[in-house]
Amino acid sequence: MAELRAKTSPQGSDPARGSLIGKRIPKMDAPDKASGRTRYIHDINLPGQLHAKILRSSERHAKIVSIDTRAAKALPGVHAVITAADVPWQRPIGVAKDHLPLKTDRVRSLRDEIAAVAADSVEIAEEALGLIRVDYAPLPVLTDPVAALAPDAPRIHPAPQGADGGPSLKPGLPVAYTGKPDNVAMVMEYAQGDVAAGEAGSALVVEDVFRLHYVTHCCLGVSGVIAEFDPSGNLLLYSNTQVPFLHKREFAELLDIDPGRVRIIQPPIGGGFGSKLDIYPFEPIAIFLAKITGRPVKLVFTREEEFLASPTRQPVLLKLRSGCTKDGVLTFREVETLHDNGAYTSWGATTPFVMMQTVSSLYRVPHCRYRTRAVYTNNPYAGSFRGYGNLQATFAVEAHMDRLAEALGIDPLEFRLKNAQDPGEVTPQGMHFKTCGLKDCLRTAAERGDFLRKHAANRARWSDGDPVKRGVGMASMLHVGGGAKIYPSDGCGTILKIDDFAHVTLITGASEIGQGSETVLAQLVCEELGLPLSAVTVVNNDTDITPWDVGVHASRTTFIAGNSAIGAARKAKDKILALASSKCGDAAEALDLAEGCVVKKATGERVFELAKLIRSLHFSDKAELVMTTHYYEPPSVHQDKQFKGDVSAAYAWATQVCEVEVDTRTGIVRLVKVTGAHDVGRVLNRLGIEGQIEGGIVMGQGYALTENLMVEDGWVRNPNFRDYKLVTAPEIPEIDVSFIETMDGEGPQGAKGVGEAPAICIAAAVANAIYNATGVRLTSLPFTPERVYRALHGAAQPLEWNVPQ
Amino acid sequence: MTIERYCAPRTLDEALEILRAGPVSPFAGGTDLMPQSQAGRVRLAPVLMNLRRIEGMGGIAENDGVVRIGALTTMTQLMDSAVVRERLNILWQACDHFASDQLRNAGTLGGNICNASPAGDTLVPLLVLDARVELAQKPNGRIETRKLPLAEFLLGPGRTTRAPQELLSAIEIPLPAEGFYGAFFKLGTRPALDISAISIGLGALHDDGCLRSVRIAFGAVAPTAIRAARAEAELEGRLLDQDVIDAAVQAADTEIHPISDLRASGWYRREMVCNMLRRMLEDARSH
Ligand SMILES: Cc1cc2nc3c(=O)[nH]c(=O)nc-3n(C[C@H](O)[C@H](O)[C@H](O)COP(=O)(O)OP(=O)(O)OC[C@H]3O[C@@H](n4cnc5c(N)ncnc54)[C@H](O)[C@@H]3O)c2cc1C
Repeated sequence: MAELRAKTSPQGSDPARGSLIGKRIPKMDAPDKASGRTRYIHDINLPGQLHAKILRSSERHAKIVSIDTRAAKALPGVHAVITAADVPWQRPIGVAKDHLPLKTDRVRSLRDEIAAVAADSVEIAEEALGLIRVDYAPLPVLTDPVAALAPDAPRIHPAPQGADGGPSLKPGLPVAYTGKPDNVAMVMEYAQGDVAAGEAGSALVVEDVFRLHYVTHCCLGVSGVIAEFDPSGNLLLYSNTQVPFLHKREFAELLDIDPGRVRIIQPPIGGGFGSKLDIYPFEPIAIFLAKITGRPVKLVFTREEEFLASPTRQPVLLKLRSGCTKDGVLTFREVETLHDNGAYTSWGATTPFVMMQTVSSLYRVPHCRYRTRAVYTNNPYAGSFRGYGNLQATFAVEAHMDRLAEALGIDPLEFRLKNAQDPGEVTPQGMHFKTCGLKDCLRTAAERGDFLRKHAANRARWSDGDPVKRGVGMASMLHVGGGAKIYPSDGCGTILKIDDFAHVTLITGASEIGQGSETVLAQLVCEELGLPLSAVTVVNNDTDITPWDVGVHASRTTFIAGNSAIGAARKAKDKILALASSKCGDAAEALDLAEGCVVKKATGERVFELAKLIRSLHFSDKAELVMTTHYYEPPSVHQDKQFKGDVSAAYAWATQVCEVEVDTRTGIVRLVKVTGAHDVGRVLNRLGIEGQIEGGIVMGQGYALTENLMVEDGWVRNPNFRDYKLVTAPEIPEIDVSFIETMDGEGPQGAKGVGEAPAICIAAAVANAIYNATGVRLTSLPFTPERVYRALHGAAQPLEWNVPQ
Repeated sequence: MTIERYCAPRTLDEALEILRAGPVSPFAGGTDLMPQSQAGRVRLAPVLMNLRRIEGMGGIAENDGVVRIGALTTMTQLMDSAVVRERLNILWQACDHFASDQLRNAGTLGGNICNASPAGDTLVPLLVLDARVELAQKPNGRIETRKLPLAEFLLGPGRTTRAPQELLSAIEIPLPAEGFYGAFFKLGTRPALDISAISIGLGALHDDGCLRSVRIAFGAVAPTAIRAARAEAELEGRLLDQDVIDAAVQAADTEIHPISDLRASGWYRREMVCNMLRRMLEDARSH
């Protein structure tokens, strides 16, 4: 039996009695992580395992003329060197199935995989890469997404061809990919109301162009996989994926085998943040090598590879036009974006799903039009990243909330309150806000951040000679908080067993990626069963054992897997109380579970010790086990072709007030304080949610101020932590978070999802704060000292919308 | 490139003997050498020589008005030294802005100097302090040393006048007069763990509203860290008023040759040198 990650919370950390909800509960995996005992994929080594390395393109756009692997194959210690020719049965992967793991006729970006080696050691594999000779015939390079739309632009995905000019993918082989006639990878359009009428009814209209840059996830645990086939051809993968059940199916398709023969085990994952939602070439490549060599094959990225070959956040050029009446009521919003899709299509291209929600429904706007074109270039490609387009959309929308308010002479808080959603609202896009704490978020964050007073005082200092200015800015956000039905099912399964010592094993489909889901799930189960956290073991990382789950994304796990775990626990409780009732004669409804016992609800008097009661059931002539299953499917709907529909079972809200100090002599912006108010439905694990929000704020801070994956002409110029600047400890601001508990009716114990929310508004609020400090509005991220200095001194290039129609 | 031999000599004599025999990559903290060789920017020689075990190549001692700092002294050791903190405070400030605790524990002064990055943080205060470097070699059976001003040692990015068979053994700094004022400024995207986009060192003696023995140095705005002789001359002995500050800033502007790279554009570097030198001079006036 392969290693299972089973964790039990340390003894003694449980509150002695009473509800666990809202308590500060340390994460179950914290002791292992803090003491270095956690075994990540890097630490797993299988007997007979080979090490794999990938040869990537040295050209941004070129035809592959020839690949010579003879010298590499001859190197002692090398077991296999493969190119596309060795796996003619490979299939395209990714969101648009436009991406072959090993490239056949051409390379389209620097990360492109040309060949791969499996060898006795990483060092030998690396040496072998150096012996592979590739002849390229360079093609014109296209790295400007605007230029990609020109009629005479080089085509990135013409029909695939071999070196001989004929089709490289032989007819009859299972490759669906036929190329693209132009460089447009995806178009997404949404409309509500009548924008022209909205504009006609506006007293005020503003328009700006915004540019959102490349950042990347920087998971401390880099990408990696181990692939192994057993003698019957069953595939076992140790994988860091966030979507094990979806991938199981995809890998089976790739190999043309029954999905039942693919098993995925997730070792503890050192961070996901959305980066592990898609299949990337390295995974099939490791599988190919394992199949060809008949040995387990391990492939783990270096940090540099992680920067070069893992996905980025979607870079966006965005034009926004907004209007309102003279009384400050929003009239319309019109958005057009150009998404740089990069060389292949991954989830980044689909970020409009989320972006249009913010455009249409964060505030009440009767008329909206939204259009995105994602275009192919020879740049790196974008995936999903915490917030999923919402950081980009919120950045633009919240800049306009401030601009409109200022033009009307209304304060930014009042303007937002005037247009904010209320509970009960169904938006034109079809989202139904059964609970909505936006107005409370706005008022709370403004009050605790002393927003109005500071906002007025800072403005009065614009021209007082002091080179160091202060500013406050606010921004709000709307995000799915009850899953997101982007697949036919958004569900999650649970198996729960209580053994004869009343120890619970919670087997959940939900993946733990460091966010603390296993702790919160154990907590919800304990709350139902009246047990201490030490009585629960969570099993959550093996597709042969755990029931189906759609994956960890869209801030869904606490909500969906939480409801699923509660459902299973309630079934177990019903069974136990029915048994107790039959034994003691009291009605089951009059009994409860508390502190490891069956008790009388009214008095708390103990009737049975739970462990004994369960043993009496198990070792009786009935011989029954307490083992239950539950599948939770949220009451949300798949959006229709017009992108309308109530896609989530609940919606999360937040307002963040950021306070900055701007040194006008250097352009250095210091984030001094973040005051956040988050509608989280209800706080379950207070310690966990604080960590999640603080971490998200810091991630948003990096997006706003320091992080920048510098992609110039297709080259990544800073693939290392020295030059890619994450926020470090001294820069972390004072953080004040208030929780707005709207007690969502569908949420587990009233909670909503919160994973992505805290990162979303920071950049928008910081931009508004810089304006409040200096009177200068920045529309390009990130706010590095030089960019800010240029803007303050009139030396910035204004952004233009020069995108062909 | 594979390393054929790793050695960790215990004495300077032994180390110099190994160097004489052959292409050797000396390494101290390794905080430059390792990332640079990993990135393929530096080729390691077949022999990798760890300097850290050499006795007598560390330590800070003051003798006859000269502070001698062994090349292996780490940034942390510099910061812990009372002499450095009290008498060479500008160097202490630079160490305080240097990378992070982990890097300060590993990175050495000798490594920072031999790496000769235009952005090397200790080079600017060392230039202000008129530091001299001591180089040792063993050409024919006996250890020979030579000393030269740091400014003459630095040739360009990663280039110095150190011969392959030489080691940097120590740095000597004449103790500045009592009351010597020193200020170091470093500009980066974040306050910790960053390479300077520019840096400025200012040292002087206050004398009745005038500055004397003025020394100004800049980092990351020329192929090496540099002294700014013209700006110094504008200030020397003059009453530090606005006109003099303007003149010094203008002179500095003519002495720098900043380039554009990942960290900043040449334009921004120039702006920062001018703005920050001005601010430092204004601070010095009110000091
Ligand atoms: C994350 C990170 C952050 C950094 N931040 C900063 C910073 O803020 N400021 C800064 O200035 N630098 C910084 N650096 C660069 C580096 O840490 C410093 O330059 C450090 O002082 C180098 O010292 P070392 O002992 O590690 O040198 P090593 O890497 O061991 O050596 C550097 C070079 O000098 C040679 N060498 C070393 N000692 C001798 C000697 N005694 N005689 C002859 N040759 C010798 C080596 O052969 C090598 O070529 C940073 C580096 C990293 C990785």
